[in-house]
Amino acid sequence: MSYGMIAITMFSLMMLLMATGQRVFAAIGAVASIAVMMLWGTGGVEIPFTAATKLMTWYPMLTLPMFIFMGYILSESKIADDLYRMFHVWMGPMPGGLAIGTIGLMVLVSAMNGLSVAGMAIGATIALPELLKRDYDKKMVTGVIQAGSSLGILVPPSVVLVLYAMIARQPVGQLWLAGVVPGLIMAAMFIIYIAIRCKLNPSLGPTLSKQELQQVSKAEKMRLLGAGLLPLGIFAVMMVPFVNGWTSLVESSAIGAMAAFLAAIFKKRLTKTVFENSVRKTLAISCMFMWIILAALGFGSVFDGLGAVKAIEQLFTEQLGLSPWMIIILMQLSFVLLGTFLDDTAMLVIVAPLYVPLVNALGFDLIWYGVLYTVTCQIAYLTPPFGYNLFLMRAMAPPEISLRDIYGSIGPFVAIMIAALVLIMIFPELALWLPDYVYGK
Amino acid sequence: ASPKIKWRMQTYAGPALAEHVVKPAIEAFNRIAGEEMQIELYFADQLVPTGELFRAMQKGIIDAVQSDDDSMASPTEVTTFGGYFPFGCRYSLDVPVLFNQYGLDKIWKEEYAKVGVKHISAGSWDPCHFATKKPITSLEDLKGLRVFTFPTAGRFLAKFGVVPVSIPWEDVEVALQTGELDGIAWSGITEDYTVGWSKVTDYFLTNNISGAWIGSFFANMDRWNALPDHLKELLSLCLDTSHYYRQWWYWGGEAKLRVEGSDMKLTTIPDAEWATVEAEAEKFWDEIAKESPTKAKVVEIFKKYNADMVKAGRPYRYS
Amino acid sequence: MPGFIVAYVKYVDKFNRVIGRFMMYGIFVMVGILMWSSISKTFFMPSLWTLESAQFMMVAYYIIGGAYAIQLKANVRMDLFYGEWSVKKRAWVDAFTVFFLIFYLAVLLYGGLESLFYSLEYGQRTRSAWRPLIWPIKAVMCTGFILMILQSISEFIKDIATIRGVEIK
Ligand code: NA
Ligand code: NA
Repeated sequence: MSYGMIAITMFSLMMLLMATGQRVFAAIGAVASIAVMMLWGTGGVEIPFTAATKLMTWYPMLTLPMFIFMGYILSESKIADDLYRMFHVWMGPMPGGLAIGTIGLMVLVSAMNGLSVAGMAIGATIALPELLKRDYDKKMVTGVIQAGSSLGILVPPSVVLVLYAMIARQPVGQLWLAGVVPGLIMAAMFIIYIAIRCKLNPSLGPTLSKQELQQVSKAEKMRLLGAGLLPLGIFAVMMVPFVNGWTSLVESSAIGAMAAFLAAIFKKRLTKTVFENSVRKTLAISCMFMWIILAALGFGSVFDGLGAVKAIEQLFTEQLGLSPWMIIILMQLSFVLLGTFLDDTAMLVIVAPLYVPLVNALGFDLIWYGVLYTVTCQIAYLTPPFGYNLFLMRAMAPPEISLRDIYGSIGPFVAIMIAALVLIMIFPELALWLPDYVYGK
Repeated sequence: ASPKIKWRMQTYAGPALAEHVVKPAIEAFNRIAGEEMQIELYFADQLVPTGELFRAMQKGIIDAVQSDDDSMASPTEVTTFGGYFPFGCRYSLDVPVLFNQYGLDKIWKEEYAKVGVKHISAGSWDPCHFATKKPITSLEDLKGLRVFTFPTAGRFLAKFGVVPVSIPWEDVEVALQTGELDGIAWSGITEDYTVGWSKVTDYFLTNNISGAWIGSFFANMDRWNALPDHLKELLSLCLDTSHYYRQWWYWGGEAKLRVEGSDMKLTTIPDAEWATVEAEAEKFWDEIAKESPTKAKVVEIFKKYNADMVKAGRPYRYS
Repeated sequence: MPGFIVAYVKYVDKFNRVIGRFMMYGIFVMVGILMWSSISKTFFMPSLWTLESAQFMMVAYYIIGGAYAIQLKANVRMDLFYGEWSVKKRAWVDAFTVFFLIFYLAVLLYGGLESLFYSLEYGQRTRSAWRPLIWPIKAVMCTGFILMILQSISEFIKDIATIRGVEIK
């Protein structure tokens, strides 16, 4: 079989098996196992295990359960309640203010966890019911929460960027800092969009009633402002020692998990149920990620060892004869396309190793590409049918939000993300300025 | 058309380094062997992680390997000597002399045959120096330093308070930036610049803990035996060009970068103080020699060779 | 359903649940080790063993915990079609495709055992300065694969039960 045929056959088999609804990791692992047994030769059957032992030495992987735990503690213990209240009373009086405040909430939550799960949970269970109660447009606010929570993987800490860092062998610290400005720009673009729409059509985001506003005293308003300090505190406890090199990445992630845990205890929110749920869900979600990565590592080695990677490299560089920029654009498009059927974590572990060396060879900055990659992932998270955030939204949204609402809500936000992607492509400094400034290179 | 014989070879070097030290040799082999045989080259950890590298070759999961004995943790009596054996060599030419004239080659071939692996040939790489984020000017500065280094060198350096850290080679640059590492004791200055470590460290210690690295090409024994004689010979010749390339590439690079390199500042521990480290190495050799008769034999060869070189005087050894 | 099959499902599910619920507290072991690592590094000498033992803990955490994660239905599925199907139809399809899962786990187990035997034969140690023997963690991994295979078979039986319209409690 030619290399190209191997690549196509393996990918289509995997898609087919995934389409049956079997667990994603099983689909990836089984295809890798079948291919290796048929095509590798001596000892091939051991490759899926042997390759998976890479996880044993990839130490940044340890940050994954830490950030997941941190996210669950934050969402389950509802220490974000006050945070939501803060935005509620301060932003409520302006048109669309609650939706804008929700984006602010999402940015702060993003700074405390590495995935979009926590943002989604807080958004769907705390913010969404309040917004609906106040007659905010269903579609718009559903989109706000999905798009806002996707900032979790771009604003540091970010698990996606840790995974990318391991695959591209780039420093996590610089990648995280590179995500800050694009993340804030994207949040600003969401806010501008909401403000404009609500200005044009105030019924989309009505202001809070005078009556409701008068219920909150000045003192209460000031106290709630203090609630905003908590996430900044947790973020600082974790990031300051890390950026200064006092603690390593994985140590910092443990400090973050510890800080969130202690915050929940001190705020008297750590009930038995909260504890049980956080610990159990952390295991469940960690297993979900780890097993996909484990299977994808095996798939990657088999794919590579059978020569399929060479076929893809040749396709991009020789056969298509494209300019470097065309190749980058095509890669991003293929990511979005693949992201419509492939699980996002699997996509990262399988596809990134194919593209990263190529991006490097084309002379592009791998830190910058990491940000491009993450924004593309955010888009993939939101685009049906296979979107991590869509899944979560479906699982967590109140019953009055239908699947149709969820799918219908994301259009404008995906458009904004694509605009942000283009901006970062045209102006790489948006991503690179901050890491260059901090690390002084 | 697909080649009659196809091998997979994994080197322990990452892409930037492999570009110099193995890729040209394999490309030359592939050009000459044509449809008769092709070797696909894979970089560090690409197909199998380094921890499983030896086993993968022994079982024939991959066909050939470029590595030092120490890094791939070969289950042989010679493992401690491959890589950087502390103060075993002064110059890179010492390695081929030890193998071809002092008998190491025979010992290596026998030891590997016992575990089903063909030792094709050994060559030497660069010396082993510290590259660190903080300056080192005395032995005191080594205390508590988290350093990426070879297992055997790590065991030796632990005597001076160094904390050896073991991570995949490819993660070193990142680990230096994230604070997992304070420095490396892995290579000479050429490699520091080639792979980008000079950008993430600030100081280069001119005292070395070994003058040259011993690394080898290996193959699965059955796969090797199945090759026709002329391909065995062609492969050996091509791999020798890789050893030769390294001789001049490192030797030239070490001098040039010390003089012209701008990324790292040079520091030195005074010779008198460094002599205590060298004296400690002699004790370390004796400890190793006690572990087995084969190890004792190798240590004896190192001692004999070094004694000869000292007697020969300049330019072999300066006293 | 025959009694011994019902008993199999009952015991395997219970065993994996207990083991999984024990493993889930491993998160605190990891946090603890890494906190000690930060503290010892800042105030005393950096420890040799912390990063590696936290890493081993993590491997045990998600491989031994894997069977419980299957019970918790934590593994993502592409639900483009699956999501629309009836419970019975899902059980029908799963009853076939679960063999891909079992096959993959068996391949992992085979590779794991080969690797474990090698580590035992040569007394293989990790490459770090701490140099712990490597076979215990490989043995843990193999155990996890076996538990997951047992759990997958239990899932298969439950699918058959669903198809037949009976429930196994
Ligand atoms: Na984040
Ligand atoms: Na998608």
